[in-house]
Amino acid sequence: MNFAGVDIGSTMTKVVLTDTTDKVLSAIKGPTGPEHRQLANEVMKSALEQAGLQLDDISYIVATGYGRVNVPFADEQITELSCHARGVYSIFPNVRTAIDIGGQDAKCMKIDKGKLIDFVMNDKCAAGTGRFLEVTAATLGIPLQDIGDISLKSTKKIQISNICTIFAQQEVVALLSRGEKVEDIIAGLHYALASRVATLARRLKIEPDVVLTGGVAKNSGIVKAMKESLGCDLLVPEEPLLTGALGAAILARENYVRAREKGEALPIKSRRLDKATFYNNGS
Amino acid sequence: MTYFMGIDIGSAYSKGVIIKDSEIAAYYMISSGANYRTAAETITLELLKQTNQSQENINSVVATGTGAASVDFAGRQVSEIVCTARGINHIFPQVKTVIEVAGQSSKVIKINEQGKVTNFAVSEKCAAGSGRFVEVIANVLRIDLKDFGPISLRSSRPVSFGTGCAVFGESEAVTRVAEGIPKEDIAAGVNLALAGKITSLAGKIKLEEPCAICGGGALNAGLIKSLEAELHIRLLVPPQPQIITALGAAIIARTSS
Repeated sequence: MNFAGVDIGSTMTKVVLTDTTDKVLSAIKGPTGPEHRQLANEVMKSALEQAGLQLDDISYIVATGYGRVNVPFADEQITELSCHARGVYSIFPNVRTAIDIGGQDAKCMKIDKGKLIDFVMNDKCAAGTGRFLEVTAATLGIPLQDIGDISLKSTKKIQISNICTIFAQQEVVALLSRGEKVEDIIAGLHYALASRVATLARRLKIEPDVVLTGGVAKNSGIVKAMKESLGCDLLVPEEPLLTGALGAAILARENYVRAREKGEALPIKSRRLDKATFYNNGS
Repeated sequence: MTYFMGIDIGSAYSKGVIIKDSEIAAYYMISSGANYRTAAETITLELLKQTNQSQENINSVVATGTGAASVDFAGRQVSEIVCTARGINHIFPQVKTVIEVAGQSSKVIKINEQGKVTNFAVSEKCAAGSGRFVEVIANVLRIDLKDFGPISLRSSRPVSFGTGCAVFGESEAVTRVAEGIPKEDIAAGVNLALAGKITSLAGKIKLEEPCAICGGGALNAGLIKSLEAELHIRLLVPPQPQIITALGAAIIARTSS
């Protein structure tokens, strides 16, 4: 028996395939783009190829993330908060607090034995999300994947406002024209985002172990800035983007096995990677 | 020696006013640019030229705004809120509340009969709570800022913006354009969203009529319509809404010297 977790995030779509022991058989990421549904098919297809499986070999599929309703082949939808909590717990069994910084939101979760017990999130203001770094890095003309390492070279602290991405972008231009070094500006941006996310996280009681996930956790500068802003150590999974999809696959296994034990019927969707369209209501 | 000058160095625009006795003798507005001092000097030269006066004939100068400290020839610096209140009181002595919608902030200020501030609420440094939101979306829609209000007034189905963030709002606007939603509906949605932010700001203090609006946002007829609907009030609009704060600074220069 195999299971699949499909996480449609605002920026990236992730698919993880697992077996009955939750061992990862394959994991694929692709940019989400405007056409969720078609992309979910493609990412799923590559994940199956990588694992040497057919769609029919997958017993149960859980979709999560903000685009989870747009996965026509998923058997069940579960919120990304529950999936993240489960995924992080499977990697770090001592996790009590998980902070996920995505491309368009940030969330902080309290976790007890893999179960979500409390959370806070920001999906209303770009300044507390990965979008903040995306916009400001674009202003500096530096690829997003390079900014973390560049920020670590900084020797001077520059204060940049974390209230609004647009005004921070304006501050970056002013700092450049004042002759400030790019690495110092980038480090300032990292601290601005980190302090904003830390303020959000502090609305919950932060207890160790604290795990940082989401695409932004791949940025070494943010990991450093978050550690300083929170004043505690942070664990980061090897693949911080995949915890949601991994959690979805594990929950797929758990829900499937539980239903089978109880003899309940599960609503299994047809195992076809339909090329879905946005407006296919019977016409 | 009856001339007084007020200079308001804002984040986007700098404005200056010279009053003779209590009448506006000259006013001028330019983009602030990178150097506030240069902006202040340019404005001063232009105002002196317009009034045919030399610097010595200006009795006193009050500076206000983000860049007030850069106006080193000013006798005093006074906060924008105090100046805005004083300026609107000069134009509309009966006004009890003034809403200022500027490029980087929005303010709701309560004033007494003497034009003194009795209470205020400010939304700062959030683009979605300021005129900047309108600028950002005007850019997406490729329409001139001065056309934004009139275009928005043609809408009968304003779009709803989901987040209250100008960055996310920009992405939403791009999506709506791609979906073929008419420009006027997107523009009207922006005015509605901004009016919503200002309404919640106004909720922090007790709004009293008569009420006026100033700042660049007062040039946007669509925003005024949305605000009037949200707040259930009528808004008075001064003839030159962007120079009210500079005017207030000039009046303070006169009364305090």
